[in-house]
Amino acid sequence: MINLVANRRDVAAGARAMVPWLVGIVPFGLVIGLSAAQADIPTLAGWLTGPLIYAGSSQVATIEMLDNGAAPVVVVVAALVINVRLILYSATMARHWRGTSWRWRFVAAYLLVDPSLAVGLDGYGRRIDRGRAHARYLGGAVLLWVSWLAAIGIGATVGAGLPTWLHLEFVIPLYLVGEVATKLADPALRRTIFVASAVAILALSAPLHLGMALAIAAGITAGLTVRPVERLEPTHPSRQTTEVPR
Amino acid sequence: MSAWIVILAVGLGSYLFRLSMILLIDRITMSPQLDRASGLVAPAAFAALAAGGVATACTSVGASQAAAPLAAVAAALIAVLRTGSSYAAILVGMPTLWITTSLLPG
Repeated sequence: MINLVANRRDVAAGARAMVPWLVGIVPFGLVIGLSAAQADIPTLAGWLTGPLIYAGSSQVATIEMLDNGAAPVVVVVAALVINVRLILYSATMARHWRGTSWRWRFVAAYLLVDPSLAVGLDGYGRRIDRGRAHARYLGGAVLLWVSWLAAIGIGATVGAGLPTWLHLEFVIPLYLVGEVATKLADPALRRTIFVASAVAILALSAPLHLGMALAIAAGITAGLTVRPVERLEPTHPSRQTTEVPR
Repeated sequence: MSAWIVILAVGLGSYLFRLSMILLIDRITMSPQLDRASGLVAPAAFAALAAGGVATACTSVGASQAAAPLAAVAAALIAVLRTGSSYAAILVGMPTLWITTSLLPG
């Protein structure tokens, strides 16, 4: 088990490494909080997507689909499909956490998401003691968790009292438009996005709101038809997508 | 099934995903095809949600005001492509929505 007092400098270093990520994450949390307040579900339930799901993309999908009256099974399946990448993250961190206590694994795994993975891997890639690298991961991951939940809470609190003419229900679609627009340069992602969008519109009146799941499946299938190209992995938070705690 | 149970189920499933390979790393390997597919999930879901959300907004406001969400999306797209920031979509798209909504006949 790591010693937080002895490794407090590494905890602080991890927190500092997380700060650039927060610039992109906090607004996203505010948007999710706003959508939770505007959605036709209890605001507390919307906020609880933060600590329970702790992955922005699937939080958005869950809140929006519940608000649109999608069948619960469809919501669960769609949200979990979005989070399949967490299995990859789990595999990535597994070798660093091999031999650690179960308590550490259960806590560290709960905090595992895009930014904490990046900050954690940066620490494990340095030539430092593994306990210090654990402390670094924890410092960044806990700061992210606290900031994320605070942002959602503020967004939900402010959003509940805002007038309807602001059309805040349109914030999330616009945000998502912005997210996909930044990915259009990649041929596979471009085909995925266009096909998923088209199918989503065509299947808008599908029963049980199955159009969403159908659109995701069609988009992924279309994207896989594009031959993969070798790409350099991004190395800095500013070059990553803003998918967070996603 | 209430919203609470759905959120709990998604949360539990997500946590199990996070734990999965940490507990099973020595027994399972991810195929390259599944690896690629997992990278397409979020863009596909975002695109589907965005398209569905815009389409719903257009149909819910009536024919006379349906142009407002479309104008907002067009402005948002231009802003994002020019700045490279996804948040520009909100900063430009929402004011565009408010202005066009107020200008169009209700």
